[in-house]
Amino acid sequence: MDLSYLFFLSSGLFLGWSLGANDAANIFGTAVGSKMVRFRTIAAVAAIFVVLGAVLGGAGASETLETLGAVNALAGAFMVALSAALAVYFILRMGITVSTSQAIVGAIIGWNLYAGKETDYETLAQIFATWTICPLLSGIVAIVLYFICKKIIKCCGMHLLRLDQLTRVGLVVSAAVGAYALGANNIANVVGVFVPSSPFKPLNLGSVYTLSSVQVLFLLGALSVAAGIMTYSKKVIMKLGNNLMRMSPMLALIVVLSQAIVLLLFSSVTLHYWLENHNLPALPLVPVSSTQAVIGAIIGIGLAKGGRNIDWHTIGKIVTGWITAPLLAMIICFISLFFLANVFNQTVYLQ
Amino acid sequence: MFNMKFSMFSGTRELEQKIDEMHDKVLESSLYFKEAFEIYLKEKRSQNYRRASKKIKNIEAKADDLRREIESRLYIHNLIPDLRADVLQLVENIDKVINEFDEVAHKFYIEQPEIPEKYQAKFRTLVTQVCECAENMVICSRAFFRDFATVRDYSRKVYFAEHESDKTWASLKQDVFDSDMELAHKIQLSSLIGEVADVADKAEDCVDAVLIFTIKRDI
Repeated sequence: MDLSYLFFLSSGLFLGWSLGANDAANIFGTAVGSKMVRFRTIAAVAAIFVVLGAVLGGAGASETLETLGAVNALAGAFMVALSAALAVYFILRMGITVSTSQAIVGAIIGWNLYAGKETDYETLAQIFATWTICPLLSGIVAIVLYFICKKIIKCCGMHLLRLDQLTRVGLVVSAAVGAYALGANNIANVVGVFVPSSPFKPLNLGSVYTLSSVQVLFLLGALSVAAGIMTYSKKVIMKLGNNLMRMSPMLALIVVLSQAIVLLLFSSVTLHYWLENHNLPALPLVPVSSTQAVIGAIIGIGLAKGGRNIDWHTIGKIVTGWITAPLLAMIICFISLFFLANVFNQTVYLQ
Repeated sequence: MFNMKFSMFSGTRELEQKIDEMHDKVLESSLYFKEAFEIYLKEKRSQNYRRASKKIKNIEAKADDLRREIESRLYIHNLIPDLRADVLQLVENIDKVINEFDEVAHKFYIEQPEIPEKYQAKFRTLVTQVCECAENMVICSRAFFRDFATVRDYSRKVYFAEHESDKTWASLKQDVFDSDMELAHKIQLSSLIGEVADVADKAEDCVDAVLIFTIKRDI
């Protein structure tokens, strides 16, 4: 394998690292913040499951991104991933959680504009639609879970301490499911643009399982996400804190579960085909933002509780970030591609 | 499955028991206080009263041990981290009620106040009211751990009993100072009446805190 490939892939790995650092806060931020679970324990669980999710279930969402814009040159893919990572990094530095999914879409459109390729507007519209549906759906799931949990707690009369222990276990399990869903859904953001130029060969894991070349690429990307979770997510969790709404551990559990369910709905190929085969409306397999899902769930619970506890100002800031992230990534990508092509003489797209 | 369930809750089960025992101690001290007061009215500082007062003292000592154990267990097992401070405060408030019962019982033993017969009925009512207040506080506090919905119901009972005890306290104090007793006697009785009424105040403080904790914990 060409060493230059690894160099170009480094931007994707950097994006993966930022995704791990940023999105881990969504998966288990409250659990760690409320000291319910030790950071090292839950981060290790999340890191393992994010890799499993990416390798075993990452294909679906990746195909959709390819339809949006098949970045066909390695240097171009490098810049697309780097622009998205930089956009995420800049907005994260302002103390706002940001969506890598949106950043990568913005960067791909930036590449399309630079390369003069036509953007698949049907796919783009589908992706835009999911940006609305995802938080909405997450909010609805959270409201339903909220009332179910409330009913169960009221009926079973469990002691506070036991409930606390169960919540603790629930937080670890839901972090595992959330991490699996994140890996499956968001790996496309990290290395999806490198799929068309992947030089990897299938990898035999003994006689048990064979990883396809794309899965090997996903594994590499997922390891960078895991590295982000292990090395930097604690700082993000401490910086961002729990500033949208004060949440009890039980509410934190509901938020994480809602997010995991929604992410799974948007990435499970099996469920997608099952719904299609039964003539039911299937959700598109699109990389959605775990940040959006979490915000949707928090707003959902806030509304179910009467809407008084929500910090609308912070939510406004985050929503502004959702608009800024893709725009910023698009602009950075467009300008950087120009420099990469004209100053460094790299082929950033093939005709 | 059974083993998993067992080990998952083993850290909490003992603590649940300790918290339950702590609540039991309030009920016990309340019952013994009523008994001791009746003995005092009949026999003043007799051997019987001494025994009853000693029982309350033992309960208070045991409650102190329980409080310390609960505090250390909460930290050792890292339980309910977000509510740990609240539970500790609750346990301390409960302990204060028990301490108050013990202090008043001991004060009767040391000071041996003379309670004229015409005030005994009102004094008895005051004791019944503060004990009722403490007992309802126990139910309210237990509900915080198991059944949030009933916390409010029992808090109303505590507030009502405390209000009634305040009225009895004021009326009894007025009666004492309107009487022909010597000033020193009046002040001694008034101080004791105030201390008995303090039990209800402490129970009320405890319930106030429980209500806030419930709002914080409610999902």
